[in-house]
Amino acid sequence: MIKSVQKLINWSRLKSPWVIHFNTGACNACDIEIVAALTPVYDLERFGVQLKGTPRHADVLLCSGPVTRLIKDRLVRIYEQMPEPKFVVAVGTCACSGGVFDGCYNMLSGIDEAIPVNAYIPGCPASPDAIIDGVTKLLKSFEEGEAKKLESSGESAVRS
Amino acid sequence: MILSLIKILIFPGFLFVFVLALAAEYADRKLYARMQTRIGPPWFQPFADFVKLLSKELIIPELADRTIFRILPLVACAAVAAAFLFIPVYNPESLFSFKGNIVAVIYILTIPTLTYFLAGWYSRSLYSLIGSMRVLTQMFSYEVPLLMAVLAPGILASSWTFSEVIAFYGSKGSLFCINVISFVVAVIAVQGKLEKVPFDIPEAETEIVAGTFTEYTGPLYAYFKLAMNIQTVSAAALLAAVFMPFGYNLGFILGIIIFLLKIFLIIVILAVVRTIFARIRMDQMVMFCWKYLTPLALLQILINIIIKAAAAQ
Ligand code: SF4
Repeated sequence: MIKSVQKLINWSRLKSPWVIHFNTGACNACDIEIVAALTPVYDLERFGVQLKGTPRHADVLLCSGPVTRLIKDRLVRIYEQMPEPKFVVAVGTCACSGGVFDGCYNMLSGIDEAIPVNAYIPGCPASPDAIIDGVTKLLKSFEEGEAKKLESSGESAVRS
Repeated sequence: MILSLIKILIFPGFLFVFVLALAAEYADRKLYARMQTRIGPPWFQPFADFVKLLSKELIIPELADRTIFRILPLVACAAVAAAFLFIPVYNPESLFSFKGNIVAVIYILTIPTLTYFLAGWYSRSLYSLIGSMRVLTQMFSYEVPLLMAVLAPGILASSWTFSEVIAFYGSKGSLFCINVISFVVAVIAVQGKLEKVPFDIPEAETEIVAGTFTEYTGPLYAYFKLAMNIQTVSAAALLAAVFMPFGYNLGFILGIIIFLLKIFLIIVILAVVRTIFARIRMDQMVMFCWKYLTPLALLQILINIIIKAAAAQ
């Protein structure tokens, strides 16, 4: 009983990832690509993705850009405002490793120096296809991880 | 006793209205997507959203009033679902019928709007505060034309009770077409009540984050979303009963089909309006409602009174 409820919850989380987009000091190219991925051309609503204005409603935090020292506190705060379970996706080479800004005196090198990251999407800028691919891969790994957790938590394997 | 419990809880009560509300959200989003030449969400999307929100963590802001913050979404849900019980579905008698229940339904449908205001107020967040002020301002502009427009057909029937209005227009053939002005006014005002584009000023994402619901997370937000969807259905059913008073005496199955078709028609109108227009400013909204909608609603009342006086002679 509890298992099937847990399965239903996992299914619903996979089917409705709501995203919020936060610029952590990108050169703006990655932001434009993120916004482009949300336009009718790519139609992400097919997968239940919706852009939300507030971190309180979001499940996935899309960050672009290396973290500037100024914005680090805000990033951590926004991350903490999101309700569990939450995912962070680093979009663009800068967000993954610092990219061209690596080594600057006013920058951290990558999102993962401030908050834990679940998926990295490289590219300068990361194209909308790559962003969609990255998010679906994140969801797939989440699905597999949850399925494993379910299996190991009980003695009987998960049946439908 | 048991029969009435089944009626309240399953059909045409809460379960029916729950399913109908999710279907209404799906229809709205799908139509919206198709009109933008997109594929749109799959049919289970509203249900998946609802379950996901229910299973998320609940965060209550430190400054917010904990009790009221938790109770408000449930009040909103209960109010809109209760309003639905008074509206006729497949036969002219609604589940609970009393004299003047059209007025009662309009007042019950005002409660969710007030809870949105209070929700923003008690969240103690700047964005929610702005949102709740906008909710109130907007309410004062659409509520008057809506009330006048919905009550206008009742003037001709000399009654503000659903069953009597339906019986009156049912015996008069196509007389209900005369209420077309107030139907247009009511549809526009309902668009404002449901906070849909072009009147989604209270939750304008691009300006004030998410308006009154900015601080609401997880289950509580799910209830608010559900309340808004049930409100769509209840408002559509209200308009269907008042402005399209036909097809109520055709038995159970045919009656349900006609009822669903009417609700679908109103949702299509709302979705088309949502696709065509962009958001307008608060002052434009207030001016539009008081300058155009209210006089039009008054005109309809005048027409109905004149017809009634002419018929009496
Ligand atoms: S990865 Fe390239 S495009 Fe993206 S923010 Fe960095 S420099 Fe700009």
